[in-house]
Amino acid sequence: MIHVDNLVKEYKRPVRKEGLFSGIRTLLSRDFAVKRAVDGISFHIEPGELVGYIGPNGAGKSTSIKMLTGILVPTSGRIEVNGLAPHKQRKEYTRQIGVVFGQKTQLWWDVPVIDSLRLLKDIYKVSDAEFKRNMELFSDLLDLHEFQHTPVRQLSLGQRMRADLAGALIHTPRILFLDEPTIGVDVVAKERLRNFIKEINRERKVTVLLTTHDMRDIEKLCTRMMIIDHGQMIYDGSVEQIREKYGRHRTLVVQFEREIPEFSAPNAECLKSVGGKLWFRFDRLATTPSELIAYISARYPIVDLAVEEPEIEDMVRTIYGGSEARGKEA
Amino acid sequence: MRIFWSFARQAFQNTAIYRFDYWLQLVSVFLMMYSVHWIWTSLYSQHPAAFGVNVAQMVTYGILGMALEAIFNPGQGPQTYIATQLKSGGIDTDLAKPLDFHLHMLARNVGEILFRFGTLVLPSALIGGAFLGLQLPASPVAAGLFAVSLLLGYLALFALNFLLGMVAVITLDIRSISWAYSSLVRFFSGQMVPLWLFPGFLGALANVLPFRSIYAIPISIYIGKLNGSAALEALIFQSVWVVALFIVGRLAWSGVHTRLVVQGG
Repeated sequence: MIHVDNLVKEYKRPVRKEGLFSGIRTLLSRDFAVKRAVDGISFHIEPGELVGYIGPNGAGKSTSIKMLTGILVPTSGRIEVNGLAPHKQRKEYTRQIGVVFGQKTQLWWDVPVIDSLRLLKDIYKVSDAEFKRNMELFSDLLDLHEFQHTPVRQLSLGQRMRADLAGALIHTPRILFLDEPTIGVDVVAKERLRNFIKEINRERKVTVLLTTHDMRDIEKLCTRMMIIDHGQMIYDGSVEQIREKYGRHRTLVVQFEREIPEFSAPNAECLKSVGGKLWFRFDRLATTPSELIAYISARYPIVDLAVEEPEIEDMVRTIYGGSEARGKEA
Repeated sequence: MRIFWSFARQAFQNTAIYRFDYWLQLVSVFLMMYSVHWIWTSLYSQHPAAFGVNVAQMVTYGILGMALEAIFNPGQGPQTYIATQLKSGGIDTDLAKPLDFHLHMLARNVGEILFRFGTLVLPSALIGGAFLGLQLPASPVAAGLFAVSLLLGYLALFALNFLLGMVAVITLDIRSISWAYSSLVRFFSGQMVPLWLFPGFLGALANVLPFRSIYAIPISIYIGKLNGSAALEALIFQSVWVVALFIVGRLAWSGVHTRLVVQGG
């Protein structure tokens, strides 16, 4: 459904001059610094997939989303979505997709939500029946009826995001692009947005590509994850695989009867010790928790213990860190 | 066509919220109309035959020039919208819509202009007619031609403003250019001083530039200074410029789209 081949976007920026009349000289100069925001990305997304697209700030996520939605024109490479080239057939293409930018709203600031949605209805030429059907769905799943007569500027961020999602789906698109849809929203509202995204992906078979900095969005929603950094794809695969590849380490937390000095076990290092509680980090391929527990309990009496699974967030940090180091070498 | 109407409705709701703003604008138009009325009547009392038309025509010209400001404003329009959207990064949401960008901007602007025409131009014309000596069109034919000319004038201004918006895409900031542009348009469009009073070279220059489509031609037709074949020629002049500027606008947009930088997010 979405095919991206060797996508590149370069930004040209005038080089700032220093010293006397710097402003005017910057304006007149022909020196440009070229920045490659997206540097040769390729991927395919099948219909009905729910893909998480992540990367640190400035990695090139938003730039790629903007090319995928036809807003920016790629420097080189090819994008084909549903047989259309986004920026060339923008009018026809945007009719088939829905877009939410978490940091901005596509709704009219001063007028009630419902008026914005009615204008979108006209823009997308949505029939009355379809509009009615969608509005019922949004009332059911997003409780849109609670605030549809409130002007957008008076909405809470969570409500605004729900209204924006409704706006992006009013024309029943087959593909939904979500650029940081949960940014700044509280935990309860986030959960609600996630449930809604999951629902429309499952029930309506809408293909979803979402960017986020919240790894719980990925854990709760996505089966597939693409990680980008320095404009390049550094991981593309299932969330499970990431766990296997980067999540080999577990942490065993042991509470002892009394305070004891730090010590290491075979194949496990002690990370820290607080008031008789020790944290052991181990590679689950090198040893097993039972071996470790047997070794430790033979030496000191244990009161309580727990095995901590690594958070995706930690794994992603490891991956970002690795790409940072590679970036510096290059 | 429906989309133009939807945008007009939206503009109406959007603007109707700021009522105080509206009354303030109406009062300021009234003050401007009063000033031109006063300037021309006192000038005519000194030199009754120096300005090429009679005092009633000239006062009508001046008052219309002020009343039409609400829709013929070179300082606000698609270019200011584009510049704001570029600055906030909101241009994303405009481009994510299945609308031709050029026509989208036109639809938005037409919506606003229809609203301003109904709520500002018409009331100020009524006030001008009742208290300040604004006369009716020179003839029924002149009234008809005036309406056509007004529409063409609007389209020419939109096209020019849109081109300035294209400059904003490249420079990201047009505040200083915008100021120079506004003064240029106001001067060469004959908003304040009719173009037939311009001396030799300036007059010739004003005659070939597109700006006189905006105030000078429609108002001159209204007061009967331009009539018969001269009026028709003026309409052709306007149409040619509108078509040319729209073509240039479309070319400029397709050229500039590849250079678009979306700030933030």
